[in-house]
Amino acid sequence: MQGLAGAAACGTVLASSGRAGPVAASPYRPQFFDAAEWAFLVAACDRLIPADASGPGAVALDVPRFIDRQMDTPYAHGAQWYMNGPFMAGPDNLGYQLPYAPRELYRHGIAGMNAHAATRHGRPFAALSAALQDDLLRAAERGSLVFGDVPSATFFEQLLANVMEGAFSDPIHGGNTGMGGWAMLGFPGARADFMDWVDQYGVHYPLGSVSISGERA
Amino acid sequence: MKRNIARCLLAVAGLVAPILPASGARAQDDVVARGEYVAIASDCGACHTVPGGAPFAGGLAFHLPTGTLYAPNITPDPKAGIGQYSEAEFARALQKGIRRDGSSLYPAMPYPSYARMTDEDMHALYVYFMRGVKPVATPIVQDGMTWPLSMRWPLTIWRWLFAPDPQAVRQAMAARQFPDPLVARGSYLVEGPGHCGACHTPRAITMQEKALTAQDGPLYLSGGDAVDGWRPVSLRGEDRTGLGRWSEQDITRFLATGRMPLGAAFGGMTDAIGHGTQHMSDEDRLAIARYLKTLSPTAHTVAGGWTYDPAASQALHAGDVSARGARLYVDSCAACHRTDGHGYPTTFPPLAGNPVVMDPVPDSLIRIVLEGNTLRATRQAPSAFVMPGFAARMDDGAVADTVTFIRAAWGNGAPGVTAADVGRVRRTLSPAHPPASLPMN
Amino acid sequence: MSTDARRLDPVDVVIVGGGWAGCIMAKEMTEAGRSVVVLERGSDRSTASDGAYPASIDELEGNFRYKLFQDLSKHTVTIRNNSRQVALPYRRMAAFLPGEGVGGAGLHWSGVHFRIPPDDLRLRTRVIEKYGAKFIPEGMNLQDYGVTYEELEPFFDRAEKVFGTSGEAYKVNGQVVGKGNVFSPSRSDHFPLPALKDVYTAHLFRKAATEAGFHPYSLPAANASRQYVNPYGAQMGPCNFCGYCSGYACYMYSKASPNVNILPVLRRHPLFELRAGCNVLKVELDSDGRRATGVTYADAEGNTVTQPAELVILSAFQFHNVRLMLLSGIGKPYDPARNEGVVGRNFVYQNVTTSTVWLDPKVETNQYVGTGGGGVAFDDFNSENFDHGPLGFVGGSPVWVNQAGVKAIAAAYSGGPPGTPRWGSAWKAGMIDTYRHSLRIDAHGTNMAYRDVYLDLDPTWKDAHGQPLLRMTFDWKDNDIRMNRYVVDKIGNVAKAMGARRVHLTSREFGKPFDTRQYQTTHLGGGAVMGTDPGTSALNRYLQSWDVHNVFVIGANAFPQGTGYNPTGMVAALAYWAAHHIRTTYLARPGPLAG
Repeated sequence: MQGLAGAAACGTVLASSGRAGPVAASPYRPQFFDAAEWAFLVAACDRLIPADASGPGAVALDVPRFIDRQMDTPYAHGAQWYMNGPFMAGPDNLGYQLPYAPRELYRHGIAGMNAHAATRHGRPFAALSAALQDDLLRAAERGSLVFGDVPSATFFEQLLANVMEGAFSDPIHGGNTGMGGWAMLGFPGARADFMDWVDQYGVHYPLGSVSISGERA
Repeated sequence: MKRNIARCLLAVAGLVAPILPASGARAQDDVVARGEYVAIASDCGACHTVPGGAPFAGGLAFHLPTGTLYAPNITPDPKAGIGQYSEAEFARALQKGIRRDGSSLYPAMPYPSYARMTDEDMHALYVYFMRGVKPVATPIVQDGMTWPLSMRWPLTIWRWLFAPDPQAVRQAMAARQFPDPLVARGSYLVEGPGHCGACHTPRAITMQEKALTAQDGPLYLSGGDAVDGWRPVSLRGEDRTGLGRWSEQDITRFLATGRMPLGAAFGGMTDAIGHGTQHMSDEDRLAIARYLKTLSPTAHTVAGGWTYDPAASQALHAGDVSARGARLYVDSCAACHRTDGHGYPTTFPPLAGNPVVMDPVPDSLIRIVLEGNTLRATRQAPSAFVMPGFAARMDDGAVADTVTFIRAAWGNGAPGVTAADVGRVRRTLSPAHPPASLPMN
Repeated sequence: MSTDARRLDPVDVVIVGGGWAGCIMAKEMTEAGRSVVVLERGSDRSTASDGAYPASIDELEGNFRYKLFQDLSKHTVTIRNNSRQVALPYRRMAAFLPGEGVGGAGLHWSGVHFRIPPDDLRLRTRVIEKYGAKFIPEGMNLQDYGVTYEELEPFFDRAEKVFGTSGEAYKVNGQVVGKGNVFSPSRSDHFPLPALKDVYTAHLFRKAATEAGFHPYSLPAANASRQYVNPYGAQMGPCNFCGYCSGYACYMYSKASPNVNILPVLRRHPLFELRAGCNVLKVELDSDGRRATGVTYADAEGNTVTQPAELVILSAFQFHNVRLMLLSGIGKPYDPARNEGVVGRNFVYQNVTTSTVWLDPKVETNQYVGTGGGGVAFDDFNSENFDHGPLGFVGGSPVWVNQAGVKAIAAAYSGGPPGTPRWGSAWKAGMIDTYRHSLRIDAHGTNMAYRDVYLDLDPTWKDAHGQPLLRMTFDWKDNDIRMNRYVVDKIGNVAKAMGARRVHLTSREFGKPFDTRQYQTTHLGGGAVMGTDPGTSALNRYLQSWDVHNVFVIGANAFPQGTGYNPTGMVAALAYWAAHHIRTTYLARPGPLAG
């Protein structure tokens, strides 16, 4: 019911303000991540989806905010995963076997990333150059780093997945601000009706994106 | 000639239960069954039953211009309901608007229409309520009407002035000529137990219906004031805003299923169908349809009938959303109602040529956009369909633009609306329907 | 446990699970005048709440938070690739996405609605006829269903009319009537609705496949091409290609589901009762274990309740059905070492790989336009439509473009062509190019049954009610890999005919074990298979337990081997077929159905 709850909350806000539209762009204050974690998150997002000629980056799309808000959902508490013990390691292809929900993965993972940054380069991840940050991210992706009992690849996959989600999910969840992710992709969003277009083959779809809340791009 | 009509009327009156063996216990059971049918035709449940509540236990709120009135418990419970009413007191309440204690009933209870009902029907109804309805011991408190209208004695004056005398109206009815017996039956049902005019006829400042029968002039069934926030449209022959383009078949289908090619039921009509007309016999629905088709358009009809104009459809189909509200329409409405405005009749109603869309007063239209509504399942059409509400997705300006678009498009040619119109309606919205009232399909 | 369960009044029929199979059986049993209780462990669901527009048009919730899918925190399975491994819990939704809640997976499925090829029903017989018995690889448990296409045809037809299936027939009553699948068997009637329109990529694929010498046809889809009222009187809206089929309840009421197509009528039947939030724990048997007396379930408040019944129908989905049989002691559990027992035997899956074709940048493929069951396929390499003799494998694949609507997060996950980084600017450019100018072609193939691929109960892990989880022992076999690679190679011909700028053919690889982390399909089959030999099947050809005659087990568990097509059309036809025989024979004279 998280989605509906979110929609209802947005509805309340919208009803009060009398106008649908982006939330005012005051700096977001994270609820779950502490300052160090938040700094890592912003920096990592910026590297995973950088701003470039193709379109906006993850930071402009408010992906960090998305992830922070997700941490307060049943998903992040692992409510949807089978979390009964015992927990046994096994071949990777048999899937995730750790006792950690996403919230814990982020705690462990970000701590690990910052530790490795400090060990290798004497500074937290957020303070590194883009090139060094990319190197470290690739190392994590390969599983070369050690974060206690959390393989770095596991954390990396969690992070990457949530970054993609944040950049491309409906703005109602806090990311994809201004539907910038959809716009660069050419995805029409929550209109969900292509009856007039299904057989106009190869034609460029002229209508922009629309979000669940009715925001238009 | 009069003799023939009388014979015809007698036959009509007997249509509900044409053959009843005159035996004792069986006769009583048949009266209960007949009474149940009359209660259906009179649609008592639509007002005296809250959705999901016990039948006839009351509690439904009526938001009238003067405040909120709650329909009372009319189950046979002696304390909370009408268990202590005699048949004469019951008839007096229904046909004259006098409560058992002698005080007068608000005309929200359509006793001016029920005055026309026959003694046979009244008797059957009484027996049904006393023997066929389960008693419910919950009383209904009347605390929503603002003073001074919460005092009842002025209602007595109203009743004297505006409530017709049952004997007189029945004599008048017997004297009328009808083109055929079905029209006569339809007239009885609509002007009498069906009390359709209670919603579909405008009321005067003094709250009485401006016409109680077709003979009272073209205001009868010309479109009512808002009932519970929804505005009943004209049932007369207007091409744009009435039933001018509806056939008898369209009307009977609407009364049976709430859906037909030209539109779908919402608001109070959903209940009138759900509790009432869907359970009528085919012949009675046909009688109503035929009668309605005899009603001429009102004089103040918008000049010219409705003809489909494809300009808006062509623009949207080509991706041109430059018209006011067009982009909003495509973003939120076209999926179901289509860029050509035709929708998918019986699933998602058309907006092109829809009387509700062209109604000079746009309140119902605005309301359904804000609140959404459910096209309920009926016996003949077991699937329900839901239109979502867009109050959360659109602000008042957006709703105004969208509604303006559909009122203008496809030949509808009705005037636009303003954000202020929307705001006014939005403030009257009731709380969102609880999930339990959503259909399970 | 049953000693302290609350015992309710008996009903005629108790049905476990409110998905397609359960709702069909419930409808049929009520029509036969029997009182029916359906026990569904998930919540009650409806389009109005779960498919509300536009709130439900939410890719994050629908496809990534698995809102309408099974709650794994309470019930899941364990998986291993072979018997030497320890099976580990399937903790997160990935490879397959079972349903939960009224409507089951039928509320959020895609809509492809096939009739199984006649030869797939008697594949063992056909293979031996054509290539000899030695052609069957060692260890492959190839066996026939025991029922023929001709026997099922009226029930396939019935199911299509209930589902409002859109498609174009090739042969009706032996006469060629249209441009449907030239390999398909003759039907007794046309599809109830005409085929859906081709989206652009399907259009291109149809043309290219024809040029490549194959025989394309429109996928039969339970996504209504028009408004439709089914034989039960339930009404469907028409599909507008919104792209939110798979993972969602259809806000247009266009996609068939038990909720839209059966329940509006069933719910109002006086003999029908639906109880949501009731997790069935086991089937109760009499003292000699040959007859079921009812089922025991945990209700929404956690109470244990026993519902007595004359007839027990398990329709909880393929592997849940098998698990309930194992937990209840119905039939002998399969022992692969001794090759004895039948419950859990012949567990099969489907062998699906997706290749990508990039077209000229001037071509916009508009991948967001789509519908779950819509697309274009060819069957030239499916079933026994081609000569396997020189190829040395059993099975085959239909090949298709089924553009169900690719949404933004999915596009981001897919990224760019092989070799493109998975993140960063290069990823972004590749993703955009792929999303706007490419299309996907699936080889949707068979997975054959093997002696050492099976289901049983896990010795370690338990569910929320303290019952053992089901254990899956599964991996890809050479036969399947070779089949897949052969068929995928043919896709290259189509891509070439399409004028592809770039092609990435994805095949199954030798030595690479089944990976639970990647979505394959939710078309699992077998484990409690139907057949004519109680030594190799758990159910007779009417889906009746050989051991407990008043238990019928309806679902893809009945499939003795894999099929290239999606399963639901077959599941529904089998449900109607079983119901027919229950109604015409069993109810009059309860006992093992013969012949």
